[in-house]
Amino acid sequence: MGERLSGDGVPGRRRVHPDDAVSGPWDRRDDTALETVLAAVLRGGDLAPEAEQRAVAAFRAARGGGAHRARTRRRDDWRLPAERRTGRPVKTTFAAVFASLTLGGVAVAAIGSAGSSTGGGGADRKTAHPSVSAPARPGGETSSASSGGAGPTDGSAAAQDTEAHCRAYEQVKDRGEALDATAWQQLVAAAGGEGKVAAYCAAQLARATTSPSRSGDTGKPGEGAADAGTGTAGNTGTSGNTGMSGNTGTSGNGNPGNDANDADGADNGAGNGQASGGKGQ
Amino acid sequence: MGQARQPRRVQTYDGELGTAVALAQEGDETAFAVAYRIVQPGLLGYLRGFVGEDAEDVASDAWLEIARDLGRFKGDGAGFRGWTATIARHRALDHLRRQRVRPRSGGTEQDVLDLPSLHSTDDQALETLSTERALELVRGLPKDQAEAVLLRVVVGLDGTAAARVLGKRPGAVRTAAYRGLKRLAHQLGVEGQVAGVTDETSRTLGESK
Repeated sequence: MGERLSGDGVPGRRRVHPDDAVSGPWDRRDDTALETVLAAVLRGGDLAPEAEQRAVAAFRAARGGGAHRARTRRRDDWRLPAERRTGRPVKTTFAAVFASLTLGGVAVAAIGSAGSSTGGGGADRKTAHPSVSAPARPGGETSSASSGGAGPTDGSAAAQDTEAHCRAYEQVKDRGEALDATAWQQLVAAAGGEGKVAAYCAAQLARATTSPSRSGDTGKPGEGAADAGTGTAGNTGTSGNTGMSGNTGTSGNGNPGNDANDADGADNGAGNGQASGGKGQ
Repeated sequence: MGQARQPRRVQTYDGELGTAVALAQEGDETAFAVAYRIVQPGLLGYLRGFVGEDAEDVASDAWLEIARDLGRFKGDGAGFRGWTATIARHRALDHLRRQRVRPRSGGTEQDVLDLPSLHSTDDQALETLSTERALELVRGLPKDQAEAVLLRVVVGLDGTAAARVLGKRPGAVRTAAYRGLKRLAHQLGVEGQVAGVTDETSRTLGESK
């Protein structure tokens, strides 16, 4: 009879859709009562003291043998995902910061070399920065008086775009979701490959938070140099000095990898290139 | 299927358990015993429903491994329940594999068929539910349902943790637990008044016996 009983139960169960039935077709009260009783009944019973002693003895032996210093495997980590992130070892954090600095330097170097190579040919600022979309920088050809103000917006329009994509990417990646196709494509293109997106974004976001003015600076030196070479953007003034040799500007850009701080090296290189371009004109 | 349907009692000790585990990881033997006493009832209940009368042996094996690998564990009290349940499950599966090589006489399926008659009222059915009867019923469930019910109700894991123990998607585990509980309720005659057809059928059958 039990067989027939459970057999009868099947079609009834099938009709139910458990996923969307929050309260279910049968009474919630019974449900909870059943669970409570089941838990009480199945968890009941005395614990054998010998079993506990065996377990404790095993614990003691493991402690004595040094087994408790063993490495945590993936299956041993039952922290919540949020805890897992904050509990990240210092080494990892340091590596991430270092990588972001390095990548940031490379990105700046790339901007500098692109600017100098075309900047040497002509004074037109639009061609000097082909990677920046023209409509995004209406103030691109304003006079030197406004160059200080125009700096941050003009140089970092694309950067801000990327930054926004990166922030979106940061938010959705942990939930296993994807950015919408266009944004994702742009991000992949900017990073130079799908596998590089995470590192690229880390670099972008780190730059955005640690030195928000840098992207503006790198965009500026050409203009400052073209005007007078005095460098309203402060740090390019020194690059103007080192750029006295002029003709070495592009070769300076060619190897920005002076290990100490390539970011600054690239800045200087960019300044050189622009300065020579301005003089050549 | 509601999220907040965990038996409160099971999880009351999670804070205490977390503390005990942390102390035990630093070498505190007494704390380890405390953790054992908090976790063992649920673990044993799960194993009883899973491997039957050999549950104590399997639990013993599991605790040897838990004691040995305690240093590897990372997490809180609730996490410790999940971690230990995973270890116990692996030992249980090993045990069942060994059993399959040397089969024993007598299965559980047959026992489940000899169900006592349905109780007249819902309350009575639950009040008089014995451990043996409850085990019979749970072990009579399809395996995935039985495990889901045991992990959620007896061990006290939430849907996500139970899914991790079983290596399945949380949705699948919730569905399995839901179906298992519904089937148990049906067999115990404590199904609510809403499910008219099945309910009526069962009562008719109950009376005709």
